[in-house]
Amino acid sequence: MKNLSSDILTEKEEQPAMESATPISGSEAVIRSLIEEGVETIFGYPGGAIMPVYDALYHFQEKIHHILVRHEQGAAHAAQGYARITGKPGVCLVTSGPGATNLVTGITDAMMDSTPMVCITGQVFANLLGTDAFQEADVIGITAPITKWSYQITDADEIPEILSKAFYIACTGRPGPVLIDITKNAQTALMTREFAYAKCTKIVSYRPRMQPKADQVEAAARLINEARKPYLFVGHGVLISKAEEELKAFVDKTGIPAACTLLGLSAIPADHPLYVGMLGMHGNYSTNRLINEADLIIGLGMRFDDRVTGKVTDFAPHAKVIHIDIDPSEINKIIPADAPVVGDAKEALKALLPLVEQRRHDSWLAEFKELDKQEYEKVIKDDLYPEEGQIKMGEVIRRLSEKTSGKAAIVADVGQHQMEAARYYRFSQTDGYITSGGSGTMGFALPAAFGAKVGSPEREVVAIIGDGCFQMTLQELGTIWQSELPVKIIVLNNNYLGMVRQWQQLFFDRRYSFVELKNPDFITIAKGFGIDGMRICEREDLDSALDTLLESDKAFLLEILVEKELNVFPMVPAGASVSAIRLE
Amino acid sequence: MEKLYTICIFTENTLGLLNRISGIFTRRRINIESLSVSETERKGVSRFTIVIKSDERERVEKIVRQIRKIIEVLAVFGYEDHDLTYNELAFFKVDAEKSAGVKELLEGYKRAKVLFEDQRILIIEKAGTEEEIYAFFSRLKPFGILEFVRSGRIALPNNEKGLAQYLPEVDWEYYM
Ligand SMILES: Cc1ncc(C[n+]2csc(CCOP(=O)(O)OP(=O)(O)O)c2C)c(N)n1
Repeated sequence: MKNLSSDILTEKEEQPAMESATPISGSEAVIRSLIEEGVETIFGYPGGAIMPVYDALYHFQEKIHHILVRHEQGAAHAAQGYARITGKPGVCLVTSGPGATNLVTGITDAMMDSTPMVCITGQVFANLLGTDAFQEADVIGITAPITKWSYQITDADEIPEILSKAFYIACTGRPGPVLIDITKNAQTALMTREFAYAKCTKIVSYRPRMQPKADQVEAAARLINEARKPYLFVGHGVLISKAEEELKAFVDKTGIPAACTLLGLSAIPADHPLYVGMLGMHGNYSTNRLINEADLIIGLGMRFDDRVTGKVTDFAPHAKVIHIDIDPSEINKIIPADAPVVGDAKEALKALLPLVEQRRHDSWLAEFKELDKQEYEKVIKDDLYPEEGQIKMGEVIRRLSEKTSGKAAIVADVGQHQMEAARYYRFSQTDGYITSGGSGTMGFALPAAFGAKVGSPEREVVAIIGDGCFQMTLQELGTIWQSELPVKIIVLNNNYLGMVRQWQQLFFDRRYSFVELKNPDFITIAKGFGIDGMRICEREDLDSALDTLLESDKAFLLEILVEKELNVFPMVPAGASVSAIRLE
Repeated sequence: MEKLYTICIFTENTLGLLNRISGIFTRRRINIESLSVSETERKGVSRFTIVIKSDERERVEKIVRQIRKIIEVLAVFGYEDHDLTYNELAFFKVDAEKSAGVKELLEGYKRAKVLFEDQRILIIEKAGTEEEIYAFFSRLKPFGILEFVRSGRIALPNNEKGLAQYLPEVDWEYYM
C-alpha cells in the first residue's frame, strides 16, 4: 500500500516556503486531513453545499479515490461494507439537506451494527443557519441519536483537529458513525494558520477501556472453571477486535461449545469441532434449545439482542452469565451479568486464557449434536438436497458455499434469503458475512457489496439479495458499472416479500396483505447498466449458472427463481422463549 | 414505589449536548422533572442536574450508563434524595391590593422574602425543597397568586469529594 501521508510530508519538506506562504482553503484542508488519515476511498455524491470540497478533491484524484454512487443511502451502505471487511472507517461525502438526510438510514444501520464511519456533509453558510435557507437541514439535530459523535464546523481553522477527532472516535472503543457538518463558508475560507495535522490519540472525556480489570477477569475465569454446561455466544465484537485467533485458543482450551450471533458469523470456522451453529430467531435448533440447559452463558462481544434472547424472562434460567463487552452500557442492559467484563474482546480473551483450565465437555457437546440430527431430518435435508419442486434458497447457498470453499465474503440483504445464507453458507474465512443486523435495512446488500469489494478487491464478494430488497437500491448497479467493480450478485426471486409473507402465513392466517410483487425483468435492467446477467429456474442449470457467475471477471447478475412459498425454519416465534423454537 | 433520582452530569461545554442528553430520556419515555445547567468551578466544565421519577433504581442506572457514553460527558452520577443537599427557588407574584397579611405570613418562614414591591404587585421569593415550596404555595394561595415560577433543583452530594475526585482521570490543567 502506498503511504500517502509520507508523500505529503515529503511535499512539505520540498516546498516549505510555499506551504507557509499560501494558506490553504478549508476544502483543501478537508482532503488533506483525509489523506493524513490514510483514507484511500470516499463514497460520495456532490451538490451545492459541498462543491468547494469536490473542487479540492478534483486536484487530489491521484491520492484519493472517489466512488460516485447513485443515491446517498448507497454511499452510506458502501462505506459500511468497506468498513466491515477492512476494519477501517468508511468515508462518505455528501451535500446538505436532502444529500445528508439520504444518509440517515445508513448512519442508523452503522450505529446499530457498530460500524466505523465518518460522514462529511456540506451545510449552508454559517450566517444562514436557522433561516430555512435553500437545502438547509438541521443535520446535527436529525442525526444526534444515531451517531456516536457529531460536530458542525463553521470555521476553516477547526477542520484538521475536528476531523482527527472524528476518525479517532469512529474507530476506537465500540466503533460507530460520526458526522461532521461543514458550513460552506468554512469550506471556502482560507485557513488563518498553517495546515498541520496531528492524529488524535486521546480525548479527555472519552476513554474507552480496552484492557479489562483483573478482578473482573478472575471472577469470570472462576465461573468458567466451575461450569459443567458452559456455552459461549460469539458476537460481532470478536470480528471488530480481530480476536479470531484468541477465540480459537480459548475454545480449544476450555472445550466450550460456541455459537455465533448473526453478526458474529465467520469469527470461528463452520467446521470447527466446537462450533455449534447460529443463535437467533432463525438460528439452529440446538443452539436455541440448549440456552435453557446451560449453567453458564458467556456473551462475548455481543449485546443480547431480542432476536437472540427471545422472551427475556425465560432466558437461560439455570445459567450464570458472563458478559464481555467494550461498551459498559451494554452490561446489565438486557440480561443481568453475574460477572461483567468491560473491555476489548481480544484483550479479554488474552487475559482469560491463562486463567481457564483445560477441559472437555463431550457429553454436553453431544447434546447439541443430538438436537442437530432432529433439525437435519426435519429442515436441513430438504433445504439443501431437495429432489423435486422449484429451486430452494438453501441449495443455492450450499452449492455456492462448496464452490467457493466457504471463503467468499457473503453480503446478504434482509429477509428469508439473509437467513438462509447465514444458515447454510459454511464460513471458513473471517469477515465472511456482512449484513444489516440490528437495523435490518432492506437495500443494504448491493451497495455494501461493492463497498466490500473496494475494500478487499482480491476477495470474492457475493451479494445475496431478495427481489424485494434489490428494488430498494438497484440504481447502484450504475455505480458498479461505472467503477468497474466485479461484484457477483445473486437475486433469489420468490416474487414475494418472503419474510413478511412467512409471518402472514404463520401468524395472520395466510392473509397475504400486500406482499406479492410484480417484478421487472431484472436481467434487462442489469444489461441496461452494462452488467451481464442470466436467469434460471431449473435445478439442472444451477451448477453451471453458479460457475458462470463465479468465473466472470466482471460484475454479474444471476437471478434464480426460487420456491415461492418457502418458509425459514427453525423459528423462535416473536416474544416466545428460545426453548419454544419450532422446527415446522 | 416511585422515587426521585437526581442525576449530576459533568460535561465539556459544547453546543448541542443538551439535545443529546435529553434524547436519552425521551427515547425511554422518561419525563424530566427538572433540569438546571451551570458552569462549575472549573472553566469549560458544565454541570447538569436532572431530576427524574422512577420506580426502579435499575432503570436509572441504565440511563446513567447511557449518558456516560456521550463523548463530551466527563462523568455521571445518580443519587437518591438522602445522599444530597438540594434546593429549589420559587417566585410568586401577588396583587398588592389583596396582599394584606402576606408579610406577616412571610415572617413565619426562614427563607422567604419580598424581592420587589410597588403599588400594584409584590414579588416574593421562597427557597427550599419542592415540598416546602408547595406548602408555602398553599398558604399563599388565599391571597391570590398571579404568577408562579419554580427553578430546577440544584444539589450537591453529602460527601467529602470535590470535582477532582469525581473526575480523577481528567487532566485538570486542560481546564485551567
Ligand atoms: C427498509 C425496510 N422496509 C421494510 C422491511 C420489512 N421487511 C423485512 S424482510 C422483508 C421482505 C424482503 O423481501 P425480499 O427482498 O423479497 O426477500 P425474501 O424475504 O423474499 O427473501 C420486509 C418487507 C425492512 N426490513 N426494511
